[in-house]
Amino acid sequence: MKKISCLFFFLLFLTVIPSAEARVYLDINAPTFVQIPIVLPKWKGVNPTPPGLPVKIYEILANDLTLSGFFKVIGFNRLPDPLKDKVGIPTDVSLVEWESAGGEILLIGETAWKPGDQILRLKYHLFDLVERKHIVGKQYEGPPQALRKMVHRMADEVVLQLTGEKGVHNTKIAFASARGEGKEITLCDFDGAEMKQLTQNQSLNLFPAWSPDGKKIAFTSYLRRNPDLYLMDPDGQHFRRLTSFPGLNAAPAWSPDGKKMALMMGMEGKSDIYIIDANGNNPKKLTTGHGNEASPTWSPDGKQIAFVSDRSGSPQIYIMRADGSNVRRLTYEGGYNTKPSWSPKGERIAYCGRAEGRYDIFTIGADGTGLQRLTSNSGSNESPCWSPEGRYIAFSSTRAGGSKIFVMNASGFNQRPLTSAKGGESSPAWSRQLE
Amino acid sequence: MGKKSLVVLVLILCVGLLLMGCPKKTVVKEEPGMKRAEEAVAEREKAARLEAEKEARAKELAKIREEEARQAKEKEKEFEKSLVAKREPGIAGEVFESRLLKDIRFDFDRYDIRPEDADILKENAALLMQYPEVKIQAEGHCDERGTAEYNLALGERRANAAKKYLISLGITADRISTISYGEEKPLDAGHDEEAWAKNRRGHFVILSK
Repeated sequence: MKKISCLFFFLLFLTVIPSAEARVYLDINAPTFVQIPIVLPKWKGVNPTPPGLPVKIYEILANDLTLSGFFKVIGFNRLPDPLKDKVGIPTDVSLVEWESAGGEILLIGETAWKPGDQILRLKYHLFDLVERKHIVGKQYEGPPQALRKMVHRMADEVVLQLTGEKGVHNTKIAFASARGEGKEITLCDFDGAEMKQLTQNQSLNLFPAWSPDGKKIAFTSYLRRNPDLYLMDPDGQHFRRLTSFPGLNAAPAWSPDGKKMALMMGMEGKSDIYIIDANGNNPKKLTTGHGNEASPTWSPDGKQIAFVSDRSGSPQIYIMRADGSNVRRLTYEGGYNTKPSWSPKGERIAYCGRAEGRYDIFTIGADGTGLQRLTSNSGSNESPCWSPEGRYIAFSSTRAGGSKIFVMNASGFNQRPLTSAKGGESSPAWSRQLE
Repeated sequence: MGKKSLVVLVLILCVGLLLMGCPKKTVVKEEPGMKRAEEAVAEREKAARLEAEKEARAKELAKIREEEARQAKEKEKEFEKSLVAKREPGIAGEVFESRLLKDIRFDFDRYDIRPEDADILKENAALLMQYPEVKIQAEGHCDERGTAEYNLALGERRANAAKKYLISLGITADRISTISYGEEKPLDAGHDEEAWAKNRRGHFVILSK
């Protein structure tokens, strides 16, 4: 892993033809949108590229575009004509011909690699089939081991060009995964690939939380017969205990500057919200009163914390200043609202609420307006968390039997399982863009 | 001779008088004397009887005590016998479980001790009184409904509610630690009300005997 990251450091991507003017093809923040039909012909392998490689690239790319939720991928069997990167726009591509595929956008590309070579090249061109013009063309170079990352980066560029915002294709999702009697912290790419078990201790390992720089994961483990707080690198290395105060040390949430963590602690015989320094020292209690306090989440500016409290008689979402002052109630609909997650742009808070005896994902404005229900009639849906740009929400759902991680667009659209696991997955946490 | 005879006569008379008076007096005197003797005998008999009774009682008491001691020993054996060692992978230490240290249950989203569970906690407390060396851990558990994090808070509350109740029954606080497992260790893997009711529980394990 380390080796790959190291090699990947040398990955270059060259803009062959920058787009003259950025045009947004899809306003992804609009409440409703129609997916862009994008024509994706077979990927071309320039000799002597082994034929399996272009097929693999095509699959990863088509999957990335589909999973983004913004595109309807139209497969096309014809191989593209040779791409011309000197001038940019390939002269031998007949855009009129591609229009017959029924799409608005055309994405064609090729790969050149000789087995044994240390450099793999990827090239793509994006065309607007409605206006019959070239949008952008780019070339990527990197070690063959970084293939998946290179394709993800390419997909991100396509999303950026067409929507005006960067994609999430080089992000990872950590979650707790049932193994025997215990649960282990597990990691996979945003598309469910590259699954990796990070802890191997057979204990109950719960509530992974990424540090804002993406370099650490904090979580709770019962290794010492107490729910203590631990820390490790995203490759499972440098595993160490951070806190071991009596009672709960659970559900950590890093402050946006990475200097502190809010968490649930039980030093006084019940769960309260505390803040500790990122090194585990200096616990400071924020909540007062007799309620059960749970699940802290920071506003992106680090000034406020949303959390759960049953002080009113039922669990509801509250917001307070990061020093514990100025507590106000956010949710009033329903008798069971838990696990808030503040969106990275700050306007909305996702949470798990009970409606008609089931648990579903809702979002609400940080000012308490604009309540939206994102899931319904599909098992129990819990533990929402946002993707770094706030476009997607990962959550756990029992719709297919056991609890599994699902991902959807922030509007509730395009709900899909993250992995092919049978179940036993909970508490997803989405990383920032990892370079 | 005449003077000597008179003296003798007087003596005889005196003796005669004595003899005449004596029978009456003897009768009068003899009656209480006999009664005292009878009473003494009766008292002796009574004392003996009481003594015997006392002895019997003491014997009986000793027997009862012996029986009690035997029962206590048996109970102790029963408690010792009831201990089952439990090791959980990934969780430090060996603990013991006993069927004599019983679980309590909770209503959904509640952590107050229900009346029927108060009786169970009284039995548990009596057992702990008998074994002052025993230290326990009260575990708070929840059913699968709702989020894992809120359930962890609820489990913390349940474990501490059980602890507080045992303290109110005279068990010292340093003998009871608490831990919340939230919804992470269900007793019944089912997804219905029956399973949920079983899983909302306070469980007790013995940390040291």
